[in-house]
Amino acid sequence: MNSAELAPWTPGETQQSAPAIRLVGIEKTFRSGEQTIQVLNNVNLTVAPQAIVGLIGTSGSGKSTLLNIVAGIVRPDRGQVCICGAPSEAFNDWCSVGYMFQEDRLLPWRTAIRNVEFALETGSIPKSERIQRALETLHLVELDGFENAFPYQLSGGMRSRVALARSLVTEPRILLMDEPFSRLDAQTRAVMHDELLRIHRLKGMTILFVTHDVAEATLLADEVAVMSPRPGSIKEIVKIAPPRPRDVTRPDITVYVQRLRELI
Amino acid sequence: MDSESSAQPIWRERFDLFSQRLLLVVVVVVIWWLASLSAPHYVLPGPARVWDALRLIAANGDLWNNLAITFWRVGVGFVLAALTGLPLGIFLGANRRAGEFFEPVLPVLNTVSSAIWAIFAIIWFGISNATTIFVVFMTAMPLIITNVWQGTRSVNADFIELAQVLRMPQWKVMTKVYLPTILPYFFSGARLAFGFGWRVSLVAETIGSSSGVGYRLRQAADLIRIDQVFAWTLTLVIMMATIEMAMMKPAENYLFRWKKDPQAQ
Repeated sequence: MNSAELAPWTPGETQQSAPAIRLVGIEKTFRSGEQTIQVLNNVNLTVAPQAIVGLIGTSGSGKSTLLNIVAGIVRPDRGQVCICGAPSEAFNDWCSVGYMFQEDRLLPWRTAIRNVEFALETGSIPKSERIQRALETLHLVELDGFENAFPYQLSGGMRSRVALARSLVTEPRILLMDEPFSRLDAQTRAVMHDELLRIHRLKGMTILFVTHDVAEATLLADEVAVMSPRPGSIKEIVKIAPPRPRDVTRPDITVYVQRLRELI
Repeated sequence: MDSESSAQPIWRERFDLFSQRLLLVVVVVVIWWLASLSAPHYVLPGPARVWDALRLIAANGDLWNNLAITFWRVGVGFVLAALTGLPLGIFLGANRRAGEFFEPVLPVLNTVSSAIWAIFAIIWFGISNATTIFVVFMTAMPLIITNVWQGTRSVNADFIELAQVLRMPQWKVMTKVYLPTILPYFFSGARLAFGFGWRVSLVAETIGSSSGVGYRLRQAADLIRIDQVFAWTLTLVIMMATIEMAMMKPAENYLFRWKKDPQAQ
């Protein structure tokens, strides 16, 4: 990965106070056959530790690509990615990243608890510890009693919880979410919002989530970064002042919803 | 797991099924008996004659010995087919170029009927175990490769991406994502292959060996002992039914209990 000429990473920042995520000058172009599409152009974003930041924008503005760059599964063509104050190549166990997809992506042949364990199977954590941590995380998302259920036996909301548990079981410092609740019905989505905020209060991880739902962004985020259409860059960052939990019907909240709608 | 369809306890369901099957057997035997009354015993022996013949070969050990020999040959041929078919199928499924390159070979293999393999086998291996094993192998292997190939192609890219995000090493992705996805396909391929393997082993044994059920079948036919032909056929049928009920079905139910049952909705 080549570093940009822009703001360099300054050594010496302690990992505790460094921004959880810092993106500088990110560019990304995809090539398929003859076509080249520049998806991201000069994206700069800083996310403070323990903050909840929403990422919104029109379809195709590169939101998911940006998230994947933070997750480390896509390499940017240019720019710097710093996770917890260190370049993302120097991946440290202290600052792990959890990822929750839009679909639950539960392995259908595994029970709920085995699905959560999956996230712990990359390394060499002993089986008993994996089970222990998986059980605790399932308890965290309030799915006690369903450990041995197969995905086909669970409702959409429950499967979402298992997916959330899977992304949390690694005790991530940073949680990335790509429209995690868009497939759920409105009621279940509301429940999951409360769940997420509760877990955030408990665990204090940094959350960067992508969403199409402006109301959802307003409900959850400290700041909302609005992306411009392709090639995407951060158009504006809207700080949402009122403390959580927020009531989307109240005027001091709806003003944000409107502002965000205008910006997209 | 909710099921509004049946409030019966499971033992009751099983009993009903068993009595249904039993009734079916009785019906078949009665029809057989009626038919046999109108034909000479060397054309269509009745159930009583066949039963006697069956008892005879069971008592003098003939039945068990030959059954075991054939079973062993089919088993070896099948295991060899699985051991080669599984990795080959995965390779062809995972590697686009190789898959495209070798794609025409499979239908050709499938077209070559078992009788032709039997003839080749006799030329190459003479009258021996290898003949039967070879025929079983050549019949079973394309079936297994095709199914495993399909299974490998069907691996969900979303799961691969999930494993990537979790920084899983490639070999773990293989064992934890690819293999479980391929298993149902392998299982149906194996089941087919096993069934076919039995059928072709008889063909091979009739011309290429001096023992086994197929050999005995031909011998009985040569001696115009049609009651024995029936007896051996019956042996086979009972054995296949037993394997299916006692091994295949329970294995299937356990291995794939995670699948949504469309009939239960």
